[in-house]
Amino acid sequence: MSQEITQQDAKDLEGGEQLALPTRPRDLRSNLRVTIRGRSVRLRGIRRIPPGILGWLLVLGPGLIATSAGNDAGGIATYSSAGAKYGYDLIWVMVLITVSLAVVQEMCARLGAATGRGLLDLIRERFGVGWALFAVVVILVANGGVTISEFVGIGAAMELIGISKNIAIPLTAIFLWYLVVYGSYPNVEKIFLAMTIVFFAYPIAAFMGHPNWRDVAHGAFIPKLSWDSDYIFIVVGLMGTTITPYMQLFQQSSLVEKGVARRHYGPERVDAYFGSIFSNLMSIFMIIATAATLYVIRPRDIETAADAARALEPVVGSAASTLFGIGLLGASLLAGAVLPLATSFAICEAFGLPKGVSLDFRRARVFFGLFTALIVVGAAVALIPNIPLIQLLLWVQVLNGALLPIILIFILLLVNDRLIVGDLKNTRFYNVLGWGTFALITTAVVIMLGGQLLEHFGIHLFGG
Amino acid sequence: MLLFSRIRSFALTDQKGRRAKLKDLAVGQLDCDYPQVTHLLFRHRRDHLECLPWRAVESIDLPTRQIKVKDIEASEVVPLEWRKKRVILGDIQDALILDLEHNRAARANDILLKEEDGKLLLSKVDTGLNAILRRISIGLYNRISDSTLHDWKQIEFLQGNPQAVKSGPSYQRQITQLPAGEISSLSSQLPYLHAAELLMLLPDPIAINTLEAMTKRRQLQVFEELDEERALCLLKIMAPDVAADLLGRVQTETMLRYLKLLPKVQSDRIVELLQYPEDTVGGIMTNDIVIAPMKLTVAEAREKLRERLKEPDFVYLIFVVENTKTKKQRGVIPLRDLITCDDEKTLEEIMDTRVPVLDAIKPADSAAHQVIESQLAALPVVAPGGKLLGAVTVDAAVLQVAPQSWGSQAPRIFS
Repeated sequence: MSQEITQQDAKDLEGGEQLALPTRPRDLRSNLRVTIRGRSVRLRGIRRIPPGILGWLLVLGPGLIATSAGNDAGGIATYSSAGAKYGYDLIWVMVLITVSLAVVQEMCARLGAATGRGLLDLIRERFGVGWALFAVVVILVANGGVTISEFVGIGAAMELIGISKNIAIPLTAIFLWYLVVYGSYPNVEKIFLAMTIVFFAYPIAAFMGHPNWRDVAHGAFIPKLSWDSDYIFIVVGLMGTTITPYMQLFQQSSLVEKGVARRHYGPERVDAYFGSIFSNLMSIFMIIATAATLYVIRPRDIETAADAARALEPVVGSAASTLFGIGLLGASLLAGAVLPLATSFAICEAFGLPKGVSLDFRRARVFFGLFTALIVVGAAVALIPNIPLIQLLLWVQVLNGALLPIILIFILLLVNDRLIVGDLKNTRFYNVLGWGTFALITTAVVIMLGGQLLEHFGIHLFGG
Repeated sequence: MLLFSRIRSFALTDQKGRRAKLKDLAVGQLDCDYPQVTHLLFRHRRDHLECLPWRAVESIDLPTRQIKVKDIEASEVVPLEWRKKRVILGDIQDALILDLEHNRAARANDILLKEEDGKLLLSKVDTGLNAILRRISIGLYNRISDSTLHDWKQIEFLQGNPQAVKSGPSYQRQITQLPAGEISSLSSQLPYLHAAELLMLLPDPIAINTLEAMTKRRQLQVFEELDEERALCLLKIMAPDVAADLLGRVQTETMLRYLKLLPKVQSDRIVELLQYPEDTVGGIMTNDIVIAPMKLTVAEAREKLRERLKEPDFVYLIFVVENTKTKKQRGVIPLRDLITCDDEKTLEEIMDTRVPVLDAIKPADSAAHQVIESQLAALPVVAPGGKLLGAVTVDAAVLQVAPQSWGSQAPRIFS
């Protein structure tokens, strides 16, 4: 309402003139009818998440991407190995880990919304430079390992398509580096994401492999414990690849980037939960598909990417290798670019150093140095001749599993600090689940490492 | 120069040979160039943190890493309220700070103190990697690089708590001297709670301009962290279209509460704008415009508009209506014409009647293009009967058609 210049009109305003609204076309739907100062008005200019399923769908994003990123080269290798060697016996681990993943991802999302800050940033401010440095080393080792596995995945995928890894890996490393530093990464990201759609063939392959669903259900809900070193190794690998430290970094940073404030956090939980369930369902289908095609013939170790690709044969027949290669390439390229970038960003954030691809090398030497080093080391290790590909990928996941408890402690301490998260502090229920996850993973890691250490002294803790 | 990270590991000793471990240093007021250290914080025999005033210090012995005081037992237990009113150097170290000299957010990796006339003053902040290396090398690495040292005069320390502005210690407030656009750009480098605290520091007009220059997402995050009194204060003087945009995004209960608490005139303006979907002309128009009836003479209009022209953001066009009752749109007069025309002429005689008008419920995009192509500062928005509802300014039009990423950086000429 325009303010008038005469007293008469000022009186009109004070009297609460009914606002004239032009006749609306039918396609402009009403939004909210409210009564303000005794006058009923319909507000169409308000912007908020609509109620119901549409509202839930609109918040999906960071959580789904963060958890789906776990289904990368290392993830595929680990899930395929679990299915090919142990059939459906390890699905219970995935069921259990789904709850843990959902809880951990949700806590990170909550930390992001409550503070507007990244995980390493909070660790630095809450625990000081010493602990921040420790966390940085853990993240650097964990993410560095995963970056290596992504380049291993790129090499394996290229070889499935018929291109030598010795040519493909260096070229891809240069391409990814250039793309992030000078190119338009957000646009290319969509192509990488689209390439991973191939992995939707796994659920179809799982059904077309005609598994014994009773055995699947048994494997999912009746835990089978085996005192076998390989079994425990795979269990830790499954935990490490499913709840990877970079997922927590990514989840929290994405919430910050999305601009979610603490007062609007509620619906965002759904994203973290849905992302965890969806991504782990895909992982479970990978295990079922591999078990139904490879394990049923003969329990075996997965040695090469071609072995893993055979799980898709029931769906795509002889094209399995090529399609698997395309999917693996997309997943590896996606993570191979994001991971070094996110790691460098988080580390510079923790130390307050200039960061961001918009800066030049002189202003952000540490940022670009770290990013370049991660790509160079990742590509160089992946180029080592006769490297045991699948074993390397598995070891990286186990390393992630072993480092995960350290990151979990930081997350749990931060999310229980009322000075940091205020009212979004953990409830007792969340603490039970959070510390339960910590205990579960730590126990598995301690058993695995303890067993392997004792082996060196001639004490055989495990069978197998 | 003394490094806080080193001093923090010093021991307190007194004349009777008693020792205590220094925990921290406190400064009183930050609203000066170099704040003075006022207290030493340490633990001695009691469970609680204890403090001694700085005047109790007799000397600082660097080689033996000792601070010699008269009597450690003369200490007092630090009450919680006491802490709230002071800044502890341990809180500044490792925290985010604003480097106003280079317009960037940085991290205080170390703090440098200087002794002057028996006082210890907070002098500089080291934001470089060297500071971290010094701290983790336990004295093995001692390099200090001048390029990463920043004078405390140019530093604004924020605690990440918007409410601290009211109840906590004082602030440097050098930031208030920067233009709103720069403050907004600086705040975009900060977490939203720090940005809200920053906004709380600013005088109302600068705070509003800073808020307007932020992205819509950040506006909402920051606005919701302000206390009700401050938020209401800003809403009262904010342009109605900006206020409507903001209130349209907050929680419904909050929006209704503010609409009830605001003065009726401002509340009505906001409610009117909120009735239009955001992708329509009504959604981007402002209704805070200057209106004059066409029968007024130029002299009368000038006289009556004098006070009015001080209030709205958009004063470059005077919208001429048939009369103030019907408010039928008749034409527009640029402010320059109103000032330069003969006093005796009526507004009807000098107004431009060929100005195209916009329909409030038509799509915003096409209207925005129409405004830009018209080469005018704004176009009037009218109801089907011709009643003037508001205007779409060229700023709003540019923002509507510009890429979303450009939004907050778009120059604002007329609002």
